[in-house]
Amino acid sequence: MHVFATLVAAPSTVTDGAETVAVLVLLSQYAMFRAGLSRSQVRLYAFQSLSVSALALIVAATRHIGELYVLAGLSLLLKVILVPSVIMRVLKEVRGDLAGSHRFGVATMVLCAIVLSVFGVFVVEGMPIHSKSLPLPALALAAAVVLVAFLLVIVRSDVVSQAVGFFSLENGVSVASLVLAAGLPFIAEVAFLFDLLVAVVVFGLLMRVHHGRAATLSTRHLERLRG
Amino acid sequence: MASAHVIALRGGKVSGTELDPAEIQVLQDLTILAFAPFVSGAIAHFEARLQGRRGPRILQPYYDIAKLFRKETLVPEDASFVFLVCPVVAIACYLTVPLLIPVLTNYPLPLGYMGDILGGGFILALAGFAVALGAAETGGPYAQLGSSRAMTFGALIEPSILFVTFTVALVTTTDLPYFEAAAVRSSFAQFVHPAHLLAALAFFLVVLSDTGRIPVETHASTLEFGMIDEARTLEHSGPPFALLKWGSAMKQMILYVILINVFVAPWGLAGSGQLGAVLLAIPVFLGKALGIGAVFAVIDNSFSKLRLFKITEFMAAAFLIAVLAVLVLYLVGR
Repeated sequence: MHVFATLVAAPSTVTDGAETVAVLVLLSQYAMFRAGLSRSQVRLYAFQSLSVSALALIVAATRHIGELYVLAGLSLLLKVILVPSVIMRVLKEVRGDLAGSHRFGVATMVLCAIVLSVFGVFVVEGMPIHSKSLPLPALALAAAVVLVAFLLVIVRSDVVSQAVGFFSLENGVSVASLVLAAGLPFIAEVAFLFDLLVAVVVFGLLMRVHHGRAATLSTRHLERLRG
Repeated sequence: MASAHVIALRGGKVSGTELDPAEIQVLQDLTILAFAPFVSGAIAHFEARLQGRRGPRILQPYYDIAKLFRKETLVPEDASFVFLVCPVVAIACYLTVPLLIPVLTNYPLPLGYMGDILGGGFILALAGFAVALGAAETGGPYAQLGSSRAMTFGALIEPSILFVTFTVALVTTTDLPYFEAAAVRSSFAQFVHPAHLLAALAFFLVVLSDTGRIPVETHASTLEFGMIDEARTLEHSGPPFALLKWGSAMKQMILYVILINVFVAPWGLAGSGQLGAVLLAIPVFLGKALGIGAVFAVIDNSFSKLRLFKITEFMAAAFLIAVLAVLVLYLVGR
C-alpha cells in the first residue's frame, strides 16, 4: 500500500476570461504574420475583432457596465462585418490575390515577433502600476499585440497587410482600454471606433489609388528611387 | 508563481485483489507493447474509411509484424553489428519510457520517479538516435537522407518540448508528468487556464511532428523524397524490421499517453492498485487513444503536407505557442 501525496499548484484564478481572450487576440495577430494570402489576413482580422467584442461583453457582464454592451454591438457591426467586407470588396476589384509579401522567412519573423512580445510583456511588467484590481496579464498581452502589429506593418510589403496591421493595432489598444479603463466614457470609446472608420476610408483609398497607379498591391517598387 | 499545496493523500486498506506496484509497472509496459499495433491499425483503418477506401484490417499491423518475424534478416554488405543492435536498443528505450509516465495509474509507481519529462524525452531521443544510426550504417542513400532529416527536425522541435516542460515546471514546481496530470485534474479553472491550453496545443503539435503525420510527413507515402522518419527503415528486413515497426507504433502510443493522460484528459486512470480498477484503465485509455487518433486522422485528411523547407514554419508555430504558455504563466503567477 503506498501513500501518494501530490503537490498541486493552487489554480490561478481566471477572473473574467480576459486573459484567454487576450491570448486569442495575440495568437490571431501571429496568424496574420503567417498568412500568405491577403484574404486570409482579413478573415483573421475579423476573428480578432470578434474576440475583442467578446471581451467587451465579458467585461460588461462582470463589471455591470451597460454601455459596454452597446460598444460590443457596435464593434461587432463595424470591425467584424463592415471593415472586413469593405476590404474584401476592394480585393475583389483588384483580382488576383497577392501572396508572399514576406520580406524575410516566416520562421525568422515569428522568432522576431516572439522576442518583441517578450519585450512588451517585460516593459508592462516593469511599469510601476501594480494594483490588485489590474489584470496585468491581459494588459501585457495587449502591449504585445500592439508591438507585433507594428512589426506586421513593417515587414510585409503590401498595402493590405499594412492596412490590416494598422486595424489590428487598434484591436490591441481596445483590449488594453477594456481591461484598464472599462468605465471610460462611452463617447471616448465610440471615438476610437470612428477613428478606425477614418482609417478604413484612408486605407481603402490608398489601396485603390496605389493599385490604379502601380497595377499591384505590393509596395516594393515604391522603395526604388527614381529620377 | 502559484503556491503549491498538498492534495489527495491516498491511504488505508482497500478490499479486493490488490496488485503489487511492480506488477502494475509491468502491466503498463505490456499495455503499450500489446496494444500499440492495435491503435495504429485502428487509425489506419479509420483514415482509409474517411478517404472512401475499405482500408486494411484493424489487426493488420499484428499480421505484418508476425510475418516479418518469420522472414530472414538481410544485412547490407558494409554494415557492422550496429545495424542489428540498433532496433533492439530502440525497443528497449520504448519499453523504458512507460515506466515513467501515467499509463494506467494516476499515482506514481516506484520507478515513476526514475526520470522526469526531460528524462523520458532523452530516452525517446536515444531511441531516435539508435534508429538513425542504424540507417546511417547501411550506406543506403534514402536511409541516410531520412536519418539526417529526422535528426535535423528532431533538434528543431526540441525547443518547443523544453518550453512545454517549463510550463509544467511553473505549474507544479516539478517536472514530473504525474504531478502535471494531478494539477490538471485538480480543478476546471486549471484545465481551461490559457497557459495549460497553450501548452497542450504546443505538445499536440509536437506529437503531430514526432509521429510523422501531416503537415510534417505523409506517413503512408511510398515516395522517398518526402520521407523523414519512414525513410530510416528502408534498408531493414526480417525481425529487426519487425522490431522497428513495432517500436514506431509504441512510440506513437507513448506520445499519446503523455498527451492524453498528462495534458488533455487525465481522467479514468486507476486510483488504487485494485485489479479491477487497473484492468478497467486499459480499455478507458484505448478509447481515449482512439479518440485522439481519430483527430489525427481527420487532420491527415484535411491538410496537405508542407514543403520540406516550410516545416520550420510549423516548428516555429509550435515554439511560439509554447513560449506564450510560459509567458502567460509568468504573468499570472506574479
